[in-house]
Amino acid sequence: MAADPKTRFLVVDDFSTMRRIVRNLLKELGFTNVDEAEDGAIALQKLQGGGFEFVVTDWNMPNMDGLTLLQTIRATPALKHLPVLMITAEAKKENIIAAAQAGASGYIVKPFTAGTLSEKLGKIFEKYGQA
Amino acid sequence: MSDFAGMEDLLQDFLQEAHDLLSDVDNKLVELEKTPEDTGLLNDIFRGFHTVKGGAGFLNASELVTLCHLTENLFDRLRNGELELTSELMDVIMDATRGVRDMFGELGQGVQPQPADAHIINALKAALSGEVVAAAPAPEPATVAAAHVGEPDWNQLQAAVNGEVVPAELVVKESAPAPASAPVGGVTPVPATPPSPFGRRTSDRPANKTAAQARRVEDRNRENTIRVDTSRLDQVLNLSGEIGLTKNRLTSLRADIIAGKNDSETLHALDQAVSQLDLLVSDLQNSVMKTRMQPIGRLFQKYPRIARDLARQLGKDVELVLAGEETEVDKTMIEDLADPLIHLIRNAVDHGVEMPEERAAVGKPTKSLVRLEARQEGDHIVLIIADDGKGMSAERIRAKAVEKGLISEEEANTLDERQSLSLILLPGFSTKTDISDVSGRGVGMDVVKTNIQKLNGSVEIRSEPGKGSVFLISLPLTLAILPVLLVLLGDQPFALPLSLVREILPIDQDKIQEVGGRHTLVVRGEVLPVISLAKLLGWPQNRKPEYGVFMQTAERSFILGVDSFAGRDDAVIKSLEDFRPKGVAGVTTLSNGQIVLILDMKELLSDMGQHGDSGLVVRHFDFA
Repeated sequence: MAADPKTRFLVVDDFSTMRRIVRNLLKELGFTNVDEAEDGAIALQKLQGGGFEFVVTDWNMPNMDGLTLLQTIRATPALKHLPVLMITAEAKKENIIAAAQAGASGYIVKPFTAGTLSEKLGKIFEKYGQA
Repeated sequence: MSDFAGMEDLLQDFLQEAHDLLSDVDNKLVELEKTPEDTGLLNDIFRGFHTVKGGAGFLNASELVTLCHLTENLFDRLRNGELELTSELMDVIMDATRGVRDMFGELGQGVQPQPADAHIINALKAALSGEVVAAAPAPEPATVAAAHVGEPDWNQLQAAVNGEVVPAELVVKESAPAPASAPVGGVTPVPATPPSPFGRRTSDRPANKTAAQARRVEDRNRENTIRVDTSRLDQVLNLSGEIGLTKNRLTSLRADIIAGKNDSETLHALDQAVSQLDLLVSDLQNSVMKTRMQPIGRLFQKYPRIARDLARQLGKDVELVLAGEETEVDKTMIEDLADPLIHLIRNAVDHGVEMPEERAAVGKPTKSLVRLEARQEGDHIVLIIADDGKGMSAERIRAKAVEKGLISEEEANTLDERQSLSLILLPGFSTKTDISDVSGRGVGMDVVKTNIQKLNGSVEIRSEPGKGSVFLISLPLTLAILPVLLVLLGDQPFALPLSLVREILPIDQDKIQEVGGRHTLVVRGEVLPVISLAKLLGWPQNRKPEYGVFMQTAERSFILGVDSFAGRDDAVIKSLEDFRPKGVAGVTTLSNGQIVLILDMKELLSDMGQHGDSGLVVRHFDFA
């Protein structure tokens, strides 16, 4: 999968300001096809509706957190191939390992710039392109 | 204007959202004091700080990030059971929350926050390192603000993890604070205020100016935007669409009628279209009004924390109970209610309820309850602030008011219990001789009265010695539409705000008595002065007033003498732009097109006061 500007993103965060930030950064990188969800549970509903190609999710959220969302995605046959980029404020080793174990495609620490995001996305696209 | 060029929108969004979040955190903190082990609460509070931190990072507000990060870590350890919530720790947390709020204030003014008070940071760090559980080394607080941990190579890590082997040497090495990633947003470090011994808060006092000012500025910034449920906006859109359709129908009917077609069918259609328009327009007015309505809970949220802090400061045990948070109130009104409610709650906690020992001595539970309640009653919103404290004595209040020269002995004698209690709302009244730092300056209650009156509302006080006091605030649903009573002087109608009207009664000239040189009427035991509207307006008194309107403002009750009535109406107030005659609040148009002045009773009465003794005008009043 190349970095298609039409790639449909789902941005998951309970803080609407944060969703807006991520949406704006994605827009800066040329990705304008973005939908939002307020927590893992809502995200899952939207994902099950189909059509999404990339998930960018926060970790800490009420109802269903990002890690559970990731685990659920990986355990759902229809969704398990979706790239998932985890966003978190933490750069703790345990967190990174937990994300990797759960099958995250990448990991980005807040706050980040469009440049960092682009780099992370690039790596993921590259990897999925190979697969 | 600011350190946030290009980010103003983002900043506004962040502040609004983060503010709500922090209010929520504040309330949960108060709850947490009661149930310190509640992991749900701990999680929510943790997440609150965490979320604020995340947003602050993008705004480069590094000081806010630091403060939130430390607090968040504290909660992380609390929820993991690595730390125990002591009351000292609670104080530290409360200070930190206040610090966060102050920083929001600074952000609201478009400047990067100054570092938090050193004592807060130190206290947090001490708490974090104080009782470290061996298994989990404390994260190094010193580097957190800028700490960007050197990230491991993701692919390698992932491969390692998926290979089910986590290499022992897989270490996320802590790099020195990386300047590149450290958000430094033009912050000028300012020497932190010296830590006071044991971190006693310097910012605790209500008199803390900078914080208060910051809050005010920020409030002003927030006034311009409003969050509206999209379904309500859709409704407005729908209705305006339908009105458009009805207008088209009317246009076509007009063409028919002008062309001479006026058979009964056409007229019937016209009648229908107009009726429909009538319905739609009132629906539209309602819907538009609803977009301005906000649940009052947003305002109430702040108060448990304020009550708690104050009670602690005074050594009292007080619980603030909220009710009716979902009651919806006009947005502008919510803003104007904030100050009066704070005063009333402070008053209840400070003067209303007793010290635990006093309560125990009279057999009351040591914990006092203060209830803050909102509910809608008809076209009014009623706010209730009730305490179960010692109550007030009408006798003592009257005596005090006379002593302070606020009223004369004679006036005092004509006051009933309810009127006497209202005296505490007068400027300069305060029954506590020793003025406390909190609410004993005799200015607060005056502010309450003025602010509520500005909203066309009224305040009523009830009290029972030994049992407690109740403050009842009654407010109109909205400021845009004012229910009025139309009274007549000769043929000229005038509009009076209906909120001030208690009842209408015929004036029986024989029943008029003279008390202290004033014409008065006794209504169910209450002695009320009779004031003629004609006299107030400076009109010639051609006939004796036949009817009286029993009116009540916060400071006085009286009977307004008028000739007759023309009914009630919902007035849409238009202000007179360039000139404003004294005593006129605005004008409105009646359904027949007649223009009517809406009277400002308070101003009219104060004008009367300027002629010297307020009884003077009435004394010359030519009744019999």
